Amino acid sequence: MNTGIVYATSISALYTAIIFLVAWYAHHRKEIGRSIVSNPIVYSLSIAVYCTSWTFYGSVGKASTTGIDFLMIYLGPSLAAFSWLFLLRRIVKISKENNITSIADFISLRYGKSLWLGALVTIIAVLGIMPYIALQIKAVSHSFFLVSGLPADDIPLTRLGSGAKLPTGLILAVILSIFSIIFGARKLVSSDRHEGLVAAVAFESLIKLISLLGVGIFVTYFLFDGVTDIFTRFKAFDPAAFDRLFTLDTSSRNSDSIPTFTMLFLSMGAIMLLPRQFHVMVIENSDEKHISTAMWLFPTYMFLINLFVMPIALGGILTTGSNQGADFFVISIPLITGNSAIAQLAFLGGVSAAAGMVMVESVAISTMLLNHIFMPIIVRCTPQVWFPLLLINLKRFGIFLVIMMGYYYHRIVGDSYMLVNMGLISFSAAAQFMPAMLGGLYWRRGNKAGAIGGILLGFMIWFYTLLLPSFSKSGWLPTDLLTEGPFGITLLRPTALFGLSGMDLWSHSLFWSMLFNISTYITCSIMLKQTDKEREQVSKYIAVFERERGYRQTEQKRLSKPVTKAQFVTLMAKFIGEAEAQNAISLYGDSRELNSNGAVSEFELPNLKRHTEKTLAGSVGAAAAGAIVDSFLSDMGSRMESVYDIYSTVRASLDQSRESLFVRLKASEIINRTLDLQIIMDDLLNLLLKEFKLDAAIIQLKNDNGTVSVTSYQGANRRLINENHWYTESTPYIDMVYHDKKAHFTNDARLASNTLSLERTLAEGIISFAHIPISREGEQAVGILSVFSKSIAGLFTQEFINLLSSLCGQLAQAITIVHEMHAKDRERDQKERALLQHARVLRDMEIAQQIQISLLPDSAPEIFGCELAGRCISAAHVGGDYYDFFLRNENTVDLMIADVSGHSVGAALIMAEVRTLLRAQVNSAHSASAILNILNGQLHDDLTRAELFISMFYAKYNSASGKLSYSNAGHNHPIIHRSGTSACIELDTEGLIIGVKTSVIFEERNIELVSGDVLLLYTDGLTEAFNSEGEMFGIENVCAHLGSVAHLSAREIIDSIFDAASAFTGSRTFQDDISLVVLKIN
Amino acid sequence: MIKRLFSRVMHRLQLRESWIIFFVLGIIMMTFPFLRIFNKPVTLFGFPLMLLYLTIGWAFSIFVIYLFMRSFSSHNKNPDEKKDE
Repeated sequence: MNTGIVYATSISALYTAIIFLVAWYAHHRKEIGRSIVSNPIVYSLSIAVYCTSWTFYGSVGKASTTGIDFLMIYLGPSLAAFSWLFLLRRIVKISKENNITSIADFISLRYGKSLWLGALVTIIAVLGIMPYIALQIKAVSHSFFLVSGLPADDIPLTRLGSGAKLPTGLILAVILSIFSIIFGARKLVSSDRHEGLVAAVAFESLIKLISLLGVGIFVTYFLFDGVTDIFTRFKAFDPAAFDRLFTLDTSSRNSDSIPTFTMLFLSMGAIMLLPRQFHVMVIENSDEKHISTAMWLFPTYMFLINLFVMPIALGGILTTGSNQGADFFVISIPLITGNSAIAQLAFLGGVSAAAGMVMVESVAISTMLLNHIFMPIIVRCTPQVWFPLLLINLKRFGIFLVIMMGYYYHRIVGDSYMLVNMGLISFSAAAQFMPAMLGGLYWRRGNKAGAIGGILLGFMIWFYTLLLPSFSKSGWLPTDLLTEGPFGITLLRPTALFGLSGMDLWSHSLFWSMLFNISTYITCSIMLKQTDKEREQVSKYIAVFERERGYRQTEQKRLSKPVTKAQFVTLMAKFIGEAEAQNAISLYGDSRELNSNGAVSEFELPNLKRHTEKTLAGSVGAAAAGAIVDSFLSDMGSRMESVYDIYSTVRASLDQSRESLFVRLKASEIINRTLDLQIIMDDLLNLLLKEFKLDAAIIQLKNDNGTVSVTSYQGANRRLINENHWYTESTPYIDMVYHDKKAHFTNDARLASNTLSLERTLAEGIISFAHIPISREGEQAVGILSVFSKSIAGLFTQEFINLLSSLCGQLAQAITIVHEMHAKDRERDQKERALLQHARVLRDMEIAQQIQISLLPDSAPEIFGCELAGRCISAAHVGGDYYDFFLRNENTVDLMIADVSGHSVGAALIMAEVRTLLRAQVNSAHSASAILNILNGQLHDDLTRAELFISMFYAKYNSASGKLSYSNAGHNHPIIHRSGTSACIELDTEGLIIGVKTSVIFEERNIELVSGDVLLLYTDGLTEAFNSEGEMFGIENVCAHLGSVAHLSAREIIDSIFDAASAFTGSRTFQDDISLVVLKIN
Repeated sequence: MIKRLFSRVMHRLQLRESWIIFFVLGIIMMTFPFLRIFNKPVTLFGFPLMLLYLTIGWAFSIFVIYLFMRSFSSHNKNPDEKKDE
């Protein structure tokens, strides 16, 4: 065996061991929670997986053949870095939120979790990456031979016989597969970050940078005398080549020269779209903030790694004399000049570059293979216990498959292409994802049909114009396909499609594939509509930063049949294992509120479903996860159905939609327009029916006596509500609503009928209904609003119920106000009636008073020798006081005064009766006592019934004789003032008041009146009139006053007594009726 | 004066528009009408003109991104939020 082999092998083995160590250490650090990988420098280094052995060897190769244009492949990503702050951050954010596992996952999720799209992207990625992996294997195995000094591609195993050869490429492929499996497929969860892998990749990036810089410095400063020295020498060596290499080729038809723009465009796309770039930049990103550092650190890395490429290339030509084998100048220059240590370093760098790329690429692609090719088949089978095991092994198989395909491509195509050109085939394939990707991120209309159509057409053209020629050039396919076209149709020649000749292979392919790709994407997106599933995703992608700022996402889907949490756990366990499933669900439970009994509410179920999908997506990809959950639900007999979008499609990012506001506005208009509750309720129900396409709406209100009755019923086929009406079946719900004071709704009556008989309701065609209490906040419900729909199950969303509840609140307010107003009206009516009544009584009383006054004598009779006057002032309208004069003959006059107890109308009536009875006696010649006796007999029964009494004084005066005979029935004793004396004479006789006993004996006395005598008859109102101190006017005062005014006329005496009494009390009105009669003897 | 100018430049750099302008500018500088200016077989201080242009241009663009990042992290604002303002 050659010592070179031993040397190269042992270096490789040592290097492998170091890589393992690094990866293990990173993994260990992650386990103890102090990640070394989670920092911006490692992140930037891991992005440098972009620089593969293609960079390491191919750049120098290209630099020495076509010149400086190789830089475009690195300037492109450097420019693209400008866009990372918004583009990459957005992608990373979306991916984290949705547990994205790969670029295929990312694209298919955006277009409604399309299984087809995911599979398509995966196939393109697998085929597109094949040349790239082939390139790595080619580079490493070739460099191995250079370092080990073997002439051919295989290691001859002399010990096993002369024919036995060991294909190094195959060995390399196997080693790389094992490497990748160990780092990338230890666990199934691919949305998790692979810290070991990233650490290894970052370490390798460091090695390749050091290695290439080392070789560059060696060539530039040891073999030559600095950069300018190389340039001067080269210019002297071959001035034409110098000018050619340092200018960009604009005119040449040479198919190897690629226009700068094509390279720039392809590399800008590649940095984001190559599966491995997407993997390290998005999936393995541990913190969004790292992006900002990577934005300048990664371009710096590329700048440094390319710094010495040109000097090495020119130095190589100077050293070897030509650009033959320029692809491996990095190794061959040190070897030729006898510096094998530098060559080993270069070899190590090359291996690093290749290994890092292959590992990441194969892991990324195998994830895509598993999720988008294997999973869609697996999800059709019933989940089994051994599924987790199958899945992880499928993933490992995927890695192996990808690397082996690369190996076979390498065997087929072999040396027919330069390294750079093989890489560019991959770049062109990845570029096909660009329209769907960018469109998906920024264009709302972009749809699945457009994405699939565009990518498929672009891919087909790529395959036809790039991949086929690459096979063809290697002799694997007949070359006349290139020169003659298929079936001799020159118009369809792969390298000059539709007659577009004179263009280089890459620009030609790029032009046609992009033209078809972009135009198909745009055309299909504009012509065709998005499905519901897609629309749901669009908002996630386009509005990813808006949602962050707390805008509520409204639920638009519901599960037609509730599924329990445990069922979801069981489902997840089948794919990711019991422990992970429990873990995921507890994560969910922490962040959500469950309702009181621990069950998941209907509005929460879609979220739980989404969470399950997201968790599964982390392992099997979003498209497959969607399919798994959907098929599980359909097994359960449940499915996601669209929530009927009550507010149409206009859904501003406000809390309330325009429609909701419109309904609220209309409702308050209705409520404020009138105070007629019936009109309010009818209009409100009609508004609900019209706006929400309900079929029936009923309001029932509590009556005053606590019973409920339907007060408004609007909707289709109305009929009388009796106990046979279907509505009565809802009574248990209504009782419940009254009790709970909470809205109750049933989104699918067919399911609810298990617990409650709803036969007639269902027969009526009602599918969903809701009962909402009409109540003000915190108060008892005054009624129930019931709404019914015949057409839409799942009508009642949280939002809708909230709106209805709020309307009910308004209605309750209106009802309360109307009730209060009615109560006030009633009160006012009563008051008015009372006032009216009072006024009527008052008027009656006034009339009565008038009558009563008219019953009193309007003037005193005139008798010679004496003067008579009488006057009554009643305290109330009508009173019980009465006085009268009866002229018997020209000398005799009867005078009487009476007081019926109380001031009521009754007293007045009795007084009238007394008058009538007295008048009947006028013409009889009875004595005073006899008259009293008769009166007592006649009035006794009436007075007893009325519970009244009468006190009366009756006197007869004969002016001729001057004799006054009198009798008294319990009345105040009249007084006589006789001129010359200060004291008054009291006319005192025995006699019980009238109305107490049926037969009473009234004493009759006589007194001789002399001239100047003044007789005063009065009622107790006079003597008992009291002033503010509570003192009574009293008989003494009356007597004294009478003495002082005795000289006046009778009328004047009465007036002055009234004046004195009112002066005493200090008021014009008296507490009691006062009647006075004065007889003055002239 | 220079300090104020610097802070104003830094502030401008936070705008999303500035990023896009620099991005587009970069692409224009990398396309042919512009490249043609430097696409001459001339050496400057012993360096070919094109190599010099690309290398210095590249280094400059990295420096611009670095400035962007500094202004961005010093204000720590979300550029996607900016666009809606």
